[in-house]
Amino acid sequence: MIQKKICLLGASSVGKTSLVKQFVEGIFDAKYLTTIGVKIDKKVITFENEQIQLMLWDIEGNDRYHVFQEKYLRGCSGYIVVVDQTRTSSLLEGIEIHSQARKVTQCPAILAINKSDLHAKWHWHDNELKTYHDLFEHEFITSAKTGENVETMFLKLTELLIKE
Amino acid sequence: MATLLSDVINAFEQIILEVVDVKANSFKLVEGGSPWAQDLFPLSVNQQAFIISDDVPFLNDFLIDAKLLWNKPDNARLRSGIWTEVTYNKKELHLEAIAIKQNQRRLLVVSNQAEEYCMRQDTLQSARELLLFYDNVLEQNEYLHTRLLDILKTPKEQDNILNTLTQAVEKAGFAVLIANNDFVTVIANSAAEYLFEQSNPLPNDINKPLDIIIKLLKNQLPEYERIISTKSTWEGELCWMSPPSTLKWLKVSLNPVTNEFNQVKNWIIFANDISNVKHLAQRNEQLALQDMLTELPNRLSFWQMLEKKVSSQEPFYLLYVDINNFRQHNEFYGHDEGDKLLVEFAGRIKRAVKESDFIARIGGDEFGIILTHVDNQQHCKKIVNRIFDGTLKPFVTGKSESFSITASVGAANFPHDASNAEELMKFVDLSTYNGKQNNKNSLQFYTESIKDASHQVIEMEHELKLAIENNEFELFLQPIINLAHKKVIKAEALIRWHHPKKGIINPGEFIPIAEKSELIITIGKWVIAYACQLVKKLLSKGHQIKVSINLSPLQVLDQSLFSYIHACVTKNNIDPQYLELEVTEGVLVDDYSQAEKLLSRARAIGMSVAVDDFGTGYSSLVYLKKLPLDFIKIDASFVQDIISNDNDKAIVKAVIAMAHNLNLGVTAEGVETQEQLNFLAKNSCDAIQGFLFSEAVNLEAFMQLLNQGNLGASWDFCK
Repeated sequence: MIQKKICLLGASSVGKTSLVKQFVEGIFDAKYLTTIGVKIDKKVITFENEQIQLMLWDIEGNDRYHVFQEKYLRGCSGYIVVVDQTRTSSLLEGIEIHSQARKVTQCPAILAINKSDLHAKWHWHDNELKTYHDLFEHEFITSAKTGENVETMFLKLTELLIKE
Repeated sequence: MATLLSDVINAFEQIILEVVDVKANSFKLVEGGSPWAQDLFPLSVNQQAFIISDDVPFLNDFLIDAKLLWNKPDNARLRSGIWTEVTYNKKELHLEAIAIKQNQRRLLVVSNQAEEYCMRQDTLQSARELLLFYDNVLEQNEYLHTRLLDILKTPKEQDNILNTLTQAVEKAGFAVLIANNDFVTVIANSAAEYLFEQSNPLPNDINKPLDIIIKLLKNQLPEYERIISTKSTWEGELCWMSPPSTLKWLKVSLNPVTNEFNQVKNWIIFANDISNVKHLAQRNEQLALQDMLTELPNRLSFWQMLEKKVSSQEPFYLLYVDINNFRQHNEFYGHDEGDKLLVEFAGRIKRAVKESDFIARIGGDEFGIILTHVDNQQHCKKIVNRIFDGTLKPFVTGKSESFSITASVGAANFPHDASNAEELMKFVDLSTYNGKQNNKNSLQFYTESIKDASHQVIEMEHELKLAIENNEFELFLQPIINLAHKKVIKAEALIRWHHPKKGIINPGEFIPIAEKSELIITIGKWVIAYACQLVKKLLSKGHQIKVSINLSPLQVLDQSLFSYIHACVTKNNIDPQYLELEVTEGVLVDDYSQAEKLLSRARAIGMSVAVDDFGTGYSSLVYLKKLPLDFIKIDASFVQDIISNDNDKAIVKAVIAMAHNLNLGVTAEGVETQEQLNFLAKNSCDAIQGFLFSEAVNLEAFMQLLNQGNLGASWDFCK
């Protein structure tokens, strides 16, 4: 069976763990529990009649208590940068993380604008957002709570990885 | 012994594996054995070799680094960091691995970190919830602040303003108050009423939200008077206690809204209830007394220490360190970079003082330092110089842009200057503010005269406002002569103040004060408008003379400056080629991006750009090459000794050559003697300016000078 390593990156509290939980187990837990270190979940999906095991590396969010560590990207086939649409700073941090990741890998990258079930609080001009969109292969507006676009996003990334 | 060791290893929830075949990832269990280890490695029984497969992907990945270590000849260790493994039977294990090379043995220790994990999660959970909360408050406050400023600064009909403001503030999830200059509430949103609601108020209690905040500020903030009188912004925490049942922690910010005369029109006040967050922080005592960003003690902790030091009666120096132009830096590079700067600078301060000294972050960009065992100003100066050294070393942004900062430091001595903590703080704050010089490191010790000086500045500021209103300024013109054509081609516009009592005041006396009070924006606009009128008058008399205008750093940062210049040019119907903008090197370096934007736009419409005072500041060829420039003006200090000082000769020659290489013209300032003129002409300087030809004169005298064509120097040397 083909195995693909996918990393979830982003600032702390943006919902990386919740996205994985929603994708792997189909559930959402509203209580925020911060991730320490790395947690790896696995999920087997079928793509064009082939079984693929996704290794989902949910990596502790970056903030002043945990800096980005590129070593976790070793062997990674693709990554998702998760940002929280209720926090402007999470987008800036996400872009910074993306640019650091780009120094060590050129694998497909997706931007997940998470928490779409909540009212967006950032105030970006469309032009500015578009500049950021262009940095990624794809962008999804997701909600780990409602499940909006979660499966679609992981499947799209898988498709990109297989085509690579 | 072996059993004892095994028991200890089990007690520490560890297992020890030894490499059997490094290429095959084959190991055997040599010590330890707990149920969790069986869940993780079901095949690790009876010292039989087993393979760590892809089923344990994190560990598998760590083995790549571990193998490098095992292949080295020396003893060494490497930790993997914590990871969470979901075992085949769906159990979650929190683990850490350590690869060890010891006496040629290749070992892998795996430990169950369940306890450590929970502890770290608990602490980080609180810390991250706090971060989230503060981030949220900051973003919301900033957004609303910008919106309110927009509304308040845009001329509208009174009714309209009130409606727009009410709508804007009502939706905010925190208290928003807008007051007039005398702190009378103009608007308070529902959240403000709710936040300051008291269940059982006593009859004499103050009950209006704004009155409560002002009372708290007066009682808890020694800097209060200075903040109000200098129209400064303040942000910090206040504790509101109103017996019998009210105790709230508030995060309050105070923001002035000024008009074009730098008079306060309104105050915008935000108050956020942070009692829950305080409670959260107090669960961890360290968090309650620590600044989360820099990990230095916070303001509360600082006050505790200051009181303690005062009560111990041992002499000490108190320093107040303020980063100059931090706000602009934050706006320019973004808050993340601002945070990084604070952390880095905090580290540099720490390295500059002794371990026994106490440093705290006491405000946004302010640090308080208590220097113990320092009993004289000389010693104190030495330490402050070390702090200044820390500002000179470049700071680097995430995008590898490097910049340096400057700081203003105020110092006061206990018990010499004040005998209690509150006064000491007040004095040291006043000293910092008083010594502040834009873009320069400054140290100011407290003296009685600082109080007086601060009053003088306030007085001068008041007079400047009147000067603007009463039209007491005039622009003088100093001719700039082209050496090739031997004629006046340009003039530098220099402001003069006709003070009703003191007579003519030179800009050196009032511009620094105007710069501090931001009146410079209004004065600068007046200069631009007046310069355009002068150009128009000169053109109407047939004099095609370019007028050069000096821009201050604050003006360059003013986003509306270009449209203002453009409007003045259009209004006077003049060709922009008759205007030149002069900026100093400091502006180019400190506000590179903003300067580049402004100057490019100015050149695009035909204006030219000159770098003023070249050589006195931080000269960087990189900036000269990158920026849209036309002329360099060599500072008068180099020209002054050009005949007697070989260094100055060499510098001037080099600058001229370098400028010509970059296709830039060169003007030498401060030319006073025929010898200086001869030297400059022989070395291909393009233009000169100075008393040898004329001082700055009013328009009438300037036109006379043009008409006479007598420039008062011998031109025989010119080829």
